[in-house]
Amino acid sequence: MAESAVLSVASKPTVSTEMVTALSRTLGEHPGALAWRLRALARYDALTLPNRTEQRWRYTDPLALLPSAEALLRKLTSAASGSGNETAQQAAAEWKRLRDDEPAVLLMPGDGPRLNAAAEAAGVAIAPLWQTDADEELIGRAVPAAAGLFAALNGAAWNAGMTVRIPAGVELDQPLRIVLPAAAVSLPRLLIEVGPQAIATVIEEHCGGAAESRVVSVTELLIRPGARLHHVLVQRWQDGVHGHMTVRGRIERDAHFSSATAAFGGRVSKLDLGGILAGAGAHSELRGVVLGDRRQHFDHHTLHHHLSGNTRSDIDFKVAMAGRSRSTYTGLIRIEPDAPQSEAYQENRNLLLSAGSRADSIPELEILTDEVSCSHGATVAPIDPEQLFYLGSRGLGTDEAIQLIVRGFIASVMDRLPETVQTTVAELVSARLVRVTGGI
Amino acid sequence: MKSDQIDNLNAEYQQKYGFADPEDYVHKAPKGVNHEVVEMISRYKQEPDWMREFRHQAFDVFERKPMPRWGNNELLDSIDFDDIHYYIRPTDRQATDWEDVPDNIKQTFEKLGIPEAEQKFLAGVTAQYESEVVYHSIREDIEQLGVIFTDMDSGLREHPEIVRKYWGTVIPPDDNKFAALNSAVWSGGSFIYVPPHTKVEIPLQAYFRINAENMGQFERTLIICDEGSEVHYIEGCTAPVYSTNSLHSAVVELIALEGAHIRYTTIQNWSNNIFNLVTKRAHAHRDAVIEWVDGNIGSKLTMKYPAVYLLGERAHGEVLSIAYAGSGQHQDAGAKMIHAAPNTTSRIVSKSISKGEGRTSYRGLVKITKGSTGCKTNVECDALLIGSRSRSDTFPTMEIAEKDVRVEHEARVSKLADEQLFYLQSRGIDPDQARLMIVNGFIEPFVRELPMEYAVELNRLIELEMEGSVG
Repeated sequence: MAESAVLSVASKPTVSTEMVTALSRTLGEHPGALAWRLRALARYDALTLPNRTEQRWRYTDPLALLPSAEALLRKLTSAASGSGNETAQQAAAEWKRLRDDEPAVLLMPGDGPRLNAAAEAAGVAIAPLWQTDADEELIGRAVPAAAGLFAALNGAAWNAGMTVRIPAGVELDQPLRIVLPAAAVSLPRLLIEVGPQAIATVIEEHCGGAAESRVVSVTELLIRPGARLHHVLVQRWQDGVHGHMTVRGRIERDAHFSSATAAFGGRVSKLDLGGILAGAGAHSELRGVVLGDRRQHFDHHTLHHHLSGNTRSDIDFKVAMAGRSRSTYTGLIRIEPDAPQSEAYQENRNLLLSAGSRADSIPELEILTDEVSCSHGATVAPIDPEQLFYLGSRGLGTDEAIQLIVRGFIASVMDRLPETVQTTVAELVSARLVRVTGGI
Repeated sequence: MKSDQIDNLNAEYQQKYGFADPEDYVHKAPKGVNHEVVEMISRYKQEPDWMREFRHQAFDVFERKPMPRWGNNELLDSIDFDDIHYYIRPTDRQATDWEDVPDNIKQTFEKLGIPEAEQKFLAGVTAQYESEVVYHSIREDIEQLGVIFTDMDSGLREHPEIVRKYWGTVIPPDDNKFAALNSAVWSGGSFIYVPPHTKVEIPLQAYFRINAENMGQFERTLIICDEGSEVHYIEGCTAPVYSTNSLHSAVVELIALEGAHIRYTTIQNWSNNIFNLVTKRAHAHRDAVIEWVDGNIGSKLTMKYPAVYLLGERAHGEVLSIAYAGSGQHQDAGAKMIHAAPNTTSRIVSKSISKGEGRTSYRGLVKITKGSTGCKTNVECDALLIGSRSRSDTFPTMEIAEKDVRVEHEARVSKLADEQLFYLQSRGIDPDQARLMIVNGFIEPFVRELPMEYAVELNRLIELEMEGSVG
C-alpha cells in the first residue's frame, strides 16, 4: 500500500452547497449547470471512499489523491472571486514555451482559451463549459457523476471547464492542444464533441504543479457516427503532484477512437481511461507508455465496454519501472449480452528495470455472450540479460543498451502516435531514460 | 446422443446421482448454528480440550467475519445459515468391511460404483455420508509402509501429536468466513500421513455424499507428506437433487515437506442445489511439488481457489482445472500461487465451458514476494462459450515485487468455432458429435492428467452435459 511518504488527507473533503452555488455564479454558468452540479454533490456526499476490496482500488489509497478540505475551499473561493494568479502565471509560461515552436491550436482554461485562424475558419467552437443550455444534452454522457467518487467531486466542483465542438464533416489538419497546468488544487473538466464524419486530433497535456498539488480531472469525448478522434494524453507533472484523471470516449456507430497515453510525472498518478462502444461498427484502440522511477506510483485502469454488437477494441499498454517506482495496471473488457460479433484484445507488458521496482497487473474479462473473440495477455519481466550481453558485444555501454531496449519495448505505442506529438513525447521519453539509467 | 434429449439432462443426474435415501439417522442436530451446537459436536466426538476450544474460537470468528463481497453476492446472500443442519450422524459405527455398512448407505455407494472402483485400482477408500465417514479401508501393503490413511476424527484420536502440529497451520480459522465456519463445526474428511521417502504408488480416494435436505457438510482434510514421499489423493462428490439448498464447505490443508510430491484430484459433481464454498491450500517446502487437479461440473455456486504457498527454494506448484457451468450454475474457480522463496515455479491451466445461461469465472492470484528471485510462472485461461446467454469472466491478479522473475498470463474467450464445426460436418460427422469432439479436444489437457477410470467418467459426464447442445 501507499508508502508513508505519500501525503494523504484524513477523509474526503467536504463540499458545501454554498461553495458550489457561488462557484457556478462566478463562472457565469447557465442555471442548468448549477442544478447538475448540485445533483453531483448529492452523489458525492452519499458515496463512501472506495477501498481495497474493489479491484480498481486495490493498490492505491484514494486519500492520497484527494485535496484537503481547506485547500479545496481556498481554491474554490479564489476561483469564485476571479483571482487565479497562480494558474495564469503557469499558463503564460506554457504559452511562451509552446507558441514559439508549436504550430498547433492552443487552448487553455484559465487563460482565455484561444484558437488559431485555421481552426476558427473550419468552424471549431470553444467555450467555457455550460454557458449556454446546449451543453445540457452532452454533459455526463460519457462520465456521469454517478461513475464514482472522483467523477462526482469533479461534477460538483469543476473550477475550469471547456466545451469543444468540431462540426460535422470537418477534417482538422493540426491537432487541438489543450494544456492543463496543475495548481494547488485543479478540477478541470473537458467536454469534446466530434461531429459526424469529422476527423480530429486532440492533445490533452497535464503539466506543472508542485509537491502538494492535487488534480481531479474529467474528460468526456463524444465521438459521433463515422467520426475519428485521435486523443493523446500526456502526463508530465512535476515531481510530487498527486492526481486522478478520468477519460471516457463514447464511440457511436462506425466511429473510431484512438487513444494514446504517455505518463511520466507526478508522485501518485491514477488514470481511469476507457472507451464505450455504443454503436455497431465502433472501434476503439487504447495505447499506453508509462515510464516511472524514484518513488513514483502509477495506477492505470482501462475499460472497454462493448454495448453494441459488431464492435472492436484493442489495448496495448507498456510499462517500464525503475528506481523504487511502482505500477498497477487493471484493465476490464466487458461485453454485454446484446453485443454479439464483438472482438476485444488486451495486452499489458511490464518491464522491471531495478530491484526495487514493482508491477501489478489485473487484466479482467467479463463476457456475457458467446459470439465473440476475446483475449488478453500480461507479462512481467526484467531486461533479458542475453539482450544486454549481445548489445554489449556490439560495443554499447550498459546505459545505452538499456535505453535501446526500452525504446524497442515501447516502440509499438510510440509508432502509433500522431506525427505532430511524436517529437514531444520522444523528448520526454529521452529525458526520462537518461534520468532512469543514471538511477539504476 | 440426440438433440431431443436436451430436456432430460437433469433426469439423467436424478437417476445416476440424484436419488435420495429415506433418513434413518442416529443423530440429527436441529437446524442452525451457535456455541451449543459447536459444543454438542465436540462432546459427541469426545474431543480433547484444545480442539473444543479451537472450535469455539473459530465460531466467534465466523460470527464476526462479514460475507465476502467480491464474488456472486446475490447467490451468497441467499444462504440462510439458520436453515441448515450442521451435524448429522447417519450410523453408529464406521465399517471397515463393506458388508457391515448399513444397507441403504451401501446401496447408495454401490450405485455410485465405489466398492467396484476400490477393488480395481485404489489403495484405500474413505466414504463419507452426511457428517461422518461410514466406510473406510486401506490396503494392507500400503499400511505396512507406515502410511496413515484414516478419517479425520480417527486421525485426531489416534495420532494427536501429528494432527496438533499441523492443524490449522495452512488455513487458520480467521482466513475467511467459511474456513471459520468449517473450523467450528467440522466433521469427517481424510487424514493422511506419508512417512519419509515412501511412495504410495496407487491413489487413495475419498467419496463424499450429502443425502439429507438442508444439510451442511464440513469435512476437513489434512495431508502431510514427509520428506521425499509421494501420494495421489482423489475425491469425488455427489448429492440428491432437492428444491432447497445445501451447503458444502470444506477445508483442505496439504503440507509437502522437503522433496515431497502431492497430487490432489477433485471431481466435483454436486447436484445443482449445493453451495460449494471450499478453502484449499498447500504449503510446498524446498524442492516439493504440489499439483491440484480440479474438475468442477456440479453445484449451484462453487467458490474455490486452490492455492500453493511456495515456501522453499525450487518448490513447484501446479493447478490444472476445468469448470463446466450450465444454466443456473456459477463456477467461480481459480488458483493462487504465492512465490515466497527463490527459484520457485508455477503453472496454472484453467479451462472453462459456459453453456446455456451458465457462468464461469476464473479468479486467480500470482504473487511474487520481494527477494524471491529466479521465479517463473505461467497462467493460461481458456474459456469456451456455448449459447448467447452464457457468460465468462476472467479476474487474474499479478503482484510482482521482484525484478528477476518471469511472469506470463494469457487468456482467451471464444465460442465453439463455426469453421471447426463446418469442417467436421463436411467429413460426415453430425453436429452433436462434432460439438462433443471439439469440447473433448478443448478439455483434453485436463483429462490426460486423470487416472484412466476418472478420465472415462469425466468424458461421460461431459457427454451427458453436452447432449442436445445443438439447437
